[in-house]
Amino acid sequence: MLRRLGVGVLALAAVALVAMSPVGLQGQGGPILLGGVGPLSEPGAAESGAEMRMAMELAVDELNAQGGVLGREVRLQFEDTRGLPEEGAAAMNRLADAGAVGVAGEFHSAVAKAEIEVANVRKLPFVIAEAWSDSLTAAQYPYVFRIAPAVSLFYTKVADWIRAAGFKNVVAIYELTDFGIDVDRVLKTELTSKPNLYGERIQYTSVGVERTVPDFTPQLLQFKAQNPDLVVNIVTGTGGYLIVKQAAEVGLATTRSTAMLAVSTSILQPEFWETAGEAGLFTITKRGFHPLLGATPAIQQFQRAFEERYGRTPTFAAMEAYDAIKVLAAAIEQAGSTDPDAIVAALEQIEYDGVLGTIYFSTQREPAYMYHQWPGIRAVLIQYTEVGQKPDDAHMIWPLYLKP
Amino acid sequence: MELFWAQVVNGLIIGLLYALMASGLALIFSVLKLVNFAHGQFYMAGAFASYYLATLLGVPPLLSVLLAMLFVFVVGVVVHLLLLQPLYTGQVERKDEYAILMTFGLGILMQNLALALFGPWTKKPPDFAPGVTTLGPLTLDNDRLVVAGMATALMLGLLWVIGRTFVGRALQAVSQDRDAAAIVGINPHRMNRLAFGLGVGLAGGAGALIGPIFLVSPSMGILPGVKSFVIIVLGGMGSIPGAILGALLLGQIESLGSVYLLDPTRGLAYKNAFGVLLLALVLLVKPTGLFGQRHVRME
Repeated sequence: MLRRLGVGVLALAAVALVAMSPVGLQGQGGPILLGGVGPLSEPGAAESGAEMRMAMELAVDELNAQGGVLGREVRLQFEDTRGLPEEGAAAMNRLADAGAVGVAGEFHSAVAKAEIEVANVRKLPFVIAEAWSDSLTAAQYPYVFRIAPAVSLFYTKVADWIRAAGFKNVVAIYELTDFGIDVDRVLKTELTSKPNLYGERIQYTSVGVERTVPDFTPQLLQFKAQNPDLVVNIVTGTGGYLIVKQAAEVGLATTRSTAMLAVSTSILQPEFWETAGEAGLFTITKRGFHPLLGATPAIQQFQRAFEERYGRTPTFAAMEAYDAIKVLAAAIEQAGSTDPDAIVAALEQIEYDGVLGTIYFSTQREPAYMYHQWPGIRAVLIQYTEVGQKPDDAHMIWPLYLKP
Repeated sequence: MELFWAQVVNGLIIGLLYALMASGLALIFSVLKLVNFAHGQFYMAGAFASYYLATLLGVPPLLSVLLAMLFVFVVGVVVHLLLLQPLYTGQVERKDEYAILMTFGLGILMQNLALALFGPWTKKPPDFAPGVTTLGPLTLDNDRLVVAGMATALMLGLLWVIGRTFVGRALQAVSQDRDAAAIVGINPHRMNRLAFGLGVGLAGGAGALIGPIFLVSPSMGILPGVKSFVIIVLGGMGSIPGAILGALLLGQIESLGSVYLLDPTRGLAYKNAFGVLLLALVLLVKPTGLFGQRHVRME
């Protein structure tokens, strides 16, 4: 009797194990598991990671409301990567072990750098949402795609604006991360190799900082002594807010003679106004679209759904995360399978109408960062003209908009 | 020269804040003979308490700082009763290991609890005094001036309590010899609780004061916590005047070093290393720190 009972228990356990295994989860008719990665706790930019997860959950719920993918329910497993490369690699391995057929997300380039290695080894299609370092797509891994622009792709356009606006004494404070170092490199190369609108040589001085430093005042005071006409703030998260606030406190920027360009996605979040207050007035920042360039129905629908569900306006990072999940789902649908190579082939062919535009991935290998990169994202610079202003209502300063 | 004086003033203000936080840690070490690895998280707790008192209940900013200190003091007393009291009642055999694990674990718990309760979004309490003050060539943020004044007042208050009141003398007695203090009628357990509550209350006050300047987030205590350890080792473990002097020194070294030492385009990247460098130099010359005692450990 006991032996029969033991055999029965073992058999049940075996069935349960098979059902819970990756093969069981992804079996015919079972749910399709998509992975999400991003920072949900510090030292990562947790505020942006949280927003990315919200956007991904919204995307998955919409997919399921429309019947799922390949007629199967879609599930999302979001892993907190904490802004740490080792956590990112571990998260990717956990997702692969759990049977994820594709992964979307990430905010920090240094973390994405570790994640693409796992994606490549574990044959896990990975659509990077908001990590910008050139090196990510320049590695030219077959399973890695990117919606966020490569730094070189975007910041050459930002440098175009700096020259066109006639700035000639530019100082920059950049975080010592892959992203910060890349942006500094591109700006330095672009600004020191070409003159500004008036044919003047541009002087560019930059300083690297740790993201966790709370007091930037010593460096900002030193910048003030140089009388710059533009301060470029290349620090993400809380550090980016603090630089805007402290630059105003020491009388450096924004003033009549010195502008502040802050490039972190966090500058688009409502917390910017809570933390910077009046110091944030006339701050210039970047994003991927502006209503003046034509708000697509997809953007309007996404913004409305996001605001209704979470009570906050989505940023650029949220849009990219949402698009990354949707484009993965569309590729699976197009491939008709969850086989990783079939998904990669579909991603290389895809043309998906997303929130940020029609998404497709380049297969050109020169320059190296263009491989599997969406080249279609727009570089838009906006300037806040009122305290508490929403990014959609801010003044678009680049590209120049001429009313018809 | 204008830049030099601006850096000196900035270093002084930052040093005063470091001093407020580190003197709490020094007080705890002095009386309880344990290093509170959760000190940075009590600093964070004070900042959140002050933020919510000011924004949700409309308490005036300076009053919210004092109430936040009181709140953190009470939390500290409860934490001591529940988690640290066994160290002094013979219930724990490996006291040093227990104290390290318990306070370290508590710090991780508090930080993650804050993340779960308040979310990752950065917050800013209302300003104490909006605007800036211009003193000759120097432009100073009013909040920093208020904070420097408050930090000075709180530290003078602490020194007065420790040096001139019965309670302060009782704390000193327990710090010097627990058994002898007990013989003359001082309850060492009560003094332990008071010292821990006061110490973390000071950290909470520093967090509440710094909130409008460096903003409030669950991870805000990590770096100041580490700096406090550097300061109390620098000043001499358990010495409050040493901690104050060490903090003022660190503030100056960080502020001036970021601009005048090494490559100025990398100065801010090395800022956190200056404290460790200063510590190494002082310990080479004076291994017990500036005002340290030769042998201090839990008994």
